[in-house]
Amino acid sequence: MISTLRASAGFLLRRLGFYGLAGFVALTLNFLIPRLMPGDPATVMFARFQGELEPEAIDALREAFGLTDAPMWEQYLQYLTALSQGDLGLSVAYFPAPVTEVIGVALLWTVLLAGVAVVLAFGLGSGLGALAAWRRNGLLDQIAPPLLSFLGAFPYFWLAMAAAWIFGFQLGWFPLRHAYDAGLDPGLTWAFVSSVISHAVLPAGTMVLAALGGWLLAMRNTMVGVLGEDFITYAQARGLPSRRVWLHYAVRNAMMPNLTGFGMALGFVLSGALLTEIVFAYPGQGYLLINAVLAQDYPLMQGLFLTITIAVLGANWLVDCMTVVLDPRTRT
Amino acid sequence: MRQRLLGALVLGALALGSCRTKTEAPPGTLVVVKELQASWIRNFNPFSVAGGNRWPTNCGIYEPLLIYNSLSGEFEPWLAASFDWEVPGERLVFALREGVQWSDGEAFTADDVVFTFQLLEDTKALDVHNLAARMDAVSARDDHTVVIELSEPFVPGLAWIGHQTIVPEHIWSEVDDPVIHTNPDPVGTGPFTEVLRFETQVYDIGRNPHYWNPEAAKGIERLRMPALPSNEAANLALIHGEIDWTGTFIPAVDRVFVERDPEHHHYWFPLVGSTIFLYANTAAPPFDDPNLRRAVSMAIDRELIVRIAMHNTTVPAHPTGLTDAHKAWRDPTAAAKGTWVTHDPAAAAELLDAAGWTLDAKGQRRNAAGEPLIAELQVVTGWSDWVRAAQIITADLRALGIDASVKSRDFGAWMEGLNRGTFSLSLGWAQEGPTPYNPYQGLMSAEATKPVGETAPANWHRFGSEEVDVLLRAFEGTTDPELQRAIISRLQHIFVDEAPAIPLFPSPSWGQYNSARFDGFPSADDPYALLSPHKAPESLLVLSSIYAKDAPTSENTP
Repeated sequence: MISTLRASAGFLLRRLGFYGLAGFVALTLNFLIPRLMPGDPATVMFARFQGELEPEAIDALREAFGLTDAPMWEQYLQYLTALSQGDLGLSVAYFPAPVTEVIGVALLWTVLLAGVAVVLAFGLGSGLGALAAWRRNGLLDQIAPPLLSFLGAFPYFWLAMAAAWIFGFQLGWFPLRHAYDAGLDPGLTWAFVSSVISHAVLPAGTMVLAALGGWLLAMRNTMVGVLGEDFITYAQARGLPSRRVWLHYAVRNAMMPNLTGFGMALGFVLSGALLTEIVFAYPGQGYLLINAVLAQDYPLMQGLFLTITIAVLGANWLVDCMTVVLDPRTRT
Repeated sequence: MRQRLLGALVLGALALGSCRTKTEAPPGTLVVVKELQASWIRNFNPFSVAGGNRWPTNCGIYEPLLIYNSLSGEFEPWLAASFDWEVPGERLVFALREGVQWSDGEAFTADDVVFTFQLLEDTKALDVHNLAARMDAVSARDDHTVVIELSEPFVPGLAWIGHQTIVPEHIWSEVDDPVIHTNPDPVGTGPFTEVLRFETQVYDIGRNPHYWNPEAAKGIERLRMPALPSNEAANLALIHGEIDWTGTFIPAVDRVFVERDPEHHHYWFPLVGSTIFLYANTAAPPFDDPNLRRAVSMAIDRELIVRIAMHNTTVPAHPTGLTDAHKAWRDPTAAAKGTWVTHDPAAAAELLDAAGWTLDAKGQRRNAAGEPLIAELQVVTGWSDWVRAAQIITADLRALGIDASVKSRDFGAWMEGLNRGTFSLSLGWAQEGPTPYNPYQGLMSAEATKPVGETAPANWHRFGSEEVDVLLRAFEGTTDPELQRAIISRLQHIFVDEAPAIPLFPSPSWGQYNSARFDGFPSADDPYALLSPHKAPESLLVLSSIYAKDAPTSENTP
């Protein structure tokens, strides 16, 4: 028992070390990639005013943004030092707001919207897939996979626009935009929570709908494979209740690939909801990312990529932890 | 089990959603959409020009000394009741309006103005118009008179000095670093100064209890700014009647917007934005030859561009490149010479033949050395009006035997190409300003010209004329209207003679309003100011004249 524990801990620590290394590489790329883009924040900002500013403004902007001609390695060292102190710098596009403040506002809403959507899509999709495989050629198995694959073939933002048009604009069932009603004060009141839920139905719903097919097919196909294994036949031959065979023998084993996928999806929550957020004017991180790239806002891009990196690595480590629980082979 | 849960969820959500109607703002709340953002950052620092501050900062909270009206072409007195060049181009005197108070009740005096300009002198990062280099001294002659001495004559500087928003000395002298100060609770002289609430998705700015013009914005209690991230989202809200005043691009605006409620849905797109030019790189062959630039210009069917790319919201450009904002400056004799700005493919072909670019057997134009005439036209990816215009232009050029193609690039990369002069043809705008001095400086000044490879924020096409520099210097030193007119006329003649850039069409200035709850907006019938909210501080003129139709003080509403 103790040796298994030690083995699990060793496995998780090794993974942690690997993620640490990957994180460092990502941090360096976060620094490099924005700077490889042509132009710099001051000239881009100047150009955005389309002739309303005097050319001299560029010098003032460079001064304000703290842009220097210092060599790249020096800037890199400064970046690492600031980062180690939790200082992400000041955003250029939202100057002079600190990056942490800009991201902080949006992060919560994106995590809420896309997080709920991914968990729902994964749970529903895997559940339906498991059911469909168990009752093979049943009604569910015949209808759900082709229908959901069909829906999943549409780009998710297209579904979002269609839903916004039909249910938001034409029928007026759901609000067209924002995360809650403009007149409400945020707080744990029923009015506010219900407003948040009704505002999330269309954006989260379309994301779930678009992703459901993938989860369902993956789960169903792995299940079909697992159900053909000898140990299932053995379990059934032993006369175990079929519910137990389904859940503990088939589903638990078939879950593994889907779980890895879930980790990836969870990690990409922060970047994945981008277009949905724009369609529904949801105050999340997606619009920030676009704006940061357009404005060549190095600090904001670095900050956003950092949150995405941390989310991807963190989610993968969580999946590793779950794998340790679910798959005994990793413990030896 | 799961399915039942899902069913319950969907039903619950449906029940929640179905009782919902469109969001109506409370009475007296003017809903304005100017900035397209997904979430709001609380920043009311009037000095952060970089788009970091919220729109009301310079259109409601803080006010300038003068406001340039791009429709009348005049400076309207604002915090300054009048101005005078005591020494033309060198000493500018402002007589400040009496009885103005800051929104905290303190009196507004000449010291505040002196403090503001001193702050710019001391802080390079705030001085986007480079006033520090041009101002010698700023002083208060008395409580309501400010004297500004310039180091050398610079009459066009009036626009930058007059438009500088003034901040209160008693507040800003306490600010540690004005560059990164977000000024969350602003104190200004404008009509709307009180931040009533500020949330990620929406914020409200209430009236200034001490505003100097009690007649302004009658019955309007607050400005409400909802966060909308895209043109599409803004247009949907506008069509739905949820926005009272905005300036977005709507394709087919009559059908999409006006026809839904012709009584209340209005737009006005005066042609006072920058002219859009086709820039040909004059620093490199083949477009260093003015005849080639003229030929390209004559090949272009501007009527088609206006119809297809711009939905008939504009007209073909004036031969002098001047927009309606500078209509009064246009010189008919210069315009008459600008025949190369009219569509005439036959004349274009003749010009090309005469310039030595003749058609080969395959219909491709080549010079004596046998090199083909190639033109790559750069536009910004996703700017659909420009992309369509570029497609029309390249089709016109191909019809003449020029190997023309459209190359769309990301904004940053496109900008970099223009700045460094590494392009052959590109669409672009020109400098804007109160007089044609500004666009012509960017279009033709030799001083603004940089060699290819060096960054040039204006004069991308690298056309420089020494004579233009002499004329611009003379313009900077004179307040004599006759002399100013003569100089601008000469500049127009140089423009049509040299064809430094190819004018396509003037940009419309987008503005829409909904008169269901508020009225008094400017329009083509009553063009007292620009409707578009995109030009600070001109929108203060609009804010002062609009009123709520259901105003509680109804006896005052016209």
